[in-house]
Amino acid sequence: MKIGLAFRCFFNLLFGGALSSTVLVELGLVKRAAAPAARASAPAVVRTPADGALQILGILQRDSRLVDFLMEDIDVHSDEQVGAAVREVHKQCRESLTRYVRLEPVIDGVEGTFAKAPSADPNVVKFIGNVPAKPPAGGTLRHKGWRAAKVDLPALGTGQDAAIVAPAEIEIE
Amino acid sequence: MSKKTQAARYAIGIDLGTTNSALAYAEIAAAADPFAPANVQLAAIPQLVNPGEVRDESLLPSFLYLATASDFPAGAMALPWDAERSFVVGCLAQKRGAENVGRLVSSAKSWLSHSGVDRTSALLPFRAPEGVAKISPVEATRRYLEHLREAWDAQHPDAPFTAQQVLVTVPASFDAVARELTLEAAKQAGYRNVTLLEEPQAAFYAWIERHDDWRQRAQPGDLILVVDIGGGTTDFTLIAVTESNGELALERIAVGDHILLGGDNIDLALAGAVAARLAEKGTRIDSRQLQSLWNNCRTAKEKLLDPDSRAAEIPVTILGKGSGLVGGTIKAALLRSDIEKVLGEGFVQAVPSTEMPAQQRRVGLQELGLPYAADPAITRHLARFLRQQAAVSEHGTVRRGPSGLACPTHVLFNGGVLNAAMVRERILATLDTWLAEEGMPPVKPLSGEDLMHAVARGAAYYGLARSGRGVRIRGGVPRTYYVGVESAMPTVPGFPAPLKALAVVPFGMEEGSEVTIPGREFGLVVGQTAEFRFFTSAARKDDRPGDLIEDFGDQLEELSPIEVSFPSGENSSEVVPVSFEAVVTETGVLQLWCVARDGRKWKLEFNVREKVKG
Repeated sequence: MKIGLAFRCFFNLLFGGALSSTVLVELGLVKRAAAPAARASAPAVVRTPADGALQILGILQRDSRLVDFLMEDIDVHSDEQVGAAVREVHKQCRESLTRYVRLEPVIDGVEGTFAKAPSADPNVVKFIGNVPAKPPAGGTLRHKGWRAAKVDLPALGTGQDAAIVAPAEIEIE
Repeated sequence: MSKKTQAARYAIGIDLGTTNSALAYAEIAAAADPFAPANVQLAAIPQLVNPGEVRDESLLPSFLYLATASDFPAGAMALPWDAERSFVVGCLAQKRGAENVGRLVSSAKSWLSHSGVDRTSALLPFRAPEGVAKISPVEATRRYLEHLREAWDAQHPDAPFTAQQVLVTVPASFDAVARELTLEAAKQAGYRNVTLLEEPQAAFYAWIERHDDWRQRAQPGDLILVVDIGGGTTDFTLIAVTESNGELALERIAVGDHILLGGDNIDLALAGAVAARLAEKGTRIDSRQLQSLWNNCRTAKEKLLDPDSRAAEIPVTILGKGSGLVGGTIKAALLRSDIEKVLGEGFVQAVPSTEMPAQQRRVGLQELGLPYAADPAITRHLARFLRQQAAVSEHGTVRRGPSGLACPTHVLFNGGVLNAAMVRERILATLDTWLAEEGMPPVKPLSGEDLMHAVARGAAYYGLARSGRGVRIRGGVPRTYYVGVESAMPTVPGFPAPLKALAVVPFGMEEGSEVTIPGREFGLVVGQTAEFRFFTSAARKDDRPGDLIEDFGDQLEELSPIEVSFPSGENSSEVVPVSFEAVVTETGVLQLWCVARDGRKWKLEFNVREKVKG
């Protein structure tokens, strides 16, 4: 059993570059998925990485109607009209964004003053302007950056279709 | 039910509100220092806030949504403790219910105290379209209570809910039937060791819990008025500070009528004022937009009423319907003057203490079904409450002015509406004017905090008090109860025999006591059901058990009839002479018994199926 598992790990890595999911489960690295609910009508949903992105889009639409706003042609409306709508959308949008994602600055400094670069990782800091050949230790902070310190999205249920950002609404009068 | 072999570890206080419920708890430390501060904590209540999303909230909105397969995706109603749940309680129920009113159960508590309907029959949601399986107010209450029990059990696997001491609060104005139905719902929800507690008392316990020095703040002779304005109901209570054996004691001496009037009415009136201004400009809004305006007005009101706010108006926006959001957006504003008008000319008018609430119904404030208060002026209801204490000679010591008006020395506020300083100040100003007329000094407001959760906190504190720590308010039954007795007169065609009322339960009868009604026996036929008409009064406090009241007019309020079934004995035509015995249990429930001379007893049950004419 152990030898078999060792071989499967070896060949998985050799040919696949990664361990297969069944091997991961047997190694105890990944929890066995809960037994699928005995619901004949709901076929097993395969989750893709895009689902998470669609989910947050769906949440922002549900709570603040952000997608409605972005997809609308606002050129035809007066600034006053747009302003009134934006205040409402902004308030709701901010509320749900802060609820599901904890955002904090990458560098907690004052913009326009000197700041040390916490890392040379281009993911973390982007040097702009007259950047010398060797990345410097710091410079003038122009943008504090944002880091998602914590993402707290509810698990997508098997019955939920992430591709539906907002359901159609039909009123019965 | 098992005997209390194991002592409860926690006292759990449950505020079962008309619009929001809360749960607080405190640890009953065995043999602890009786003067150690009670550590009352609020419990987080996990609930669905969006389809498929369970979150902890400090309040459980008392809403129930009877979902169908077309409401939410499969599995989106699952709770951590029940994957197959087919209905929704709490935040999501309230949210989804606004979009589909026909499946939303709301204000179940008000229905529970509505004597004009059969409260055990399936009548909610009241506006449900045909084909929706309705449920009874008792069943709705059961589901809220059940959710709270399950939420507790999910968070405290080592301290099961049923092993704890549970206090459920009810409005002081709840009559005996509504109390029994609440207890019944709790039992059906799997509750054990439940005690009922009146909300204004709980609010006062919460104040005591927060103020260790309360004994320095109150002295014998003081009279504390508790004003509790919740989302849907308003409740008044008077608590007297007395002295017994050199110790300060508290006695609840009066409770008001059940007034269906609260913060939701105020918010709706504000939304109405804004909608009227829009209509003047030619913009009409539909009922769903009114719903969103209602919510926005609530938020705008809170901003305007914030003590630091100087704004004259707060914009309220109604976003366009459909996917065209900007184009359909309606802009409006809630003005400070709207609030001043709605409060000053409506809900908290400055009125003389002699002005009584209007009796006829006013359009605009009521929804079909529930007996909403006809007069929106909370101050007039308060005037009547304080005047009522003058109509009868006192029970206990009531501080009164020359005109007979009860004159409180302190006021304790409770309920979300009273978070607004403007509302509190208006009530205080009105009260002080009344007191000045009676030659009395102004009242002192007792600062309460956390008005949304005080009742639950106070209930948990009371749980501790029952286990020997802290002070208890003596109260007893807040009403006098009567049984209708037909006069023994020759029948005259066309004239019903005049009805007299026999007092069976005196005002203030204490929990855990019983009284036998002297001097009257009834012959009851074995094997048949005997039914009695049942009456109550919160104002007649001097009637003693056995007193016969004639010509009581509208002073007594009729409740559901009470009935007793006699099991048939060997001799079916046997007539048993019985007398009444009244018992108030330790849990605060009123029971009436028929007692035969040989000691056999039968309990009288409320017949809630029979409607009482309103």
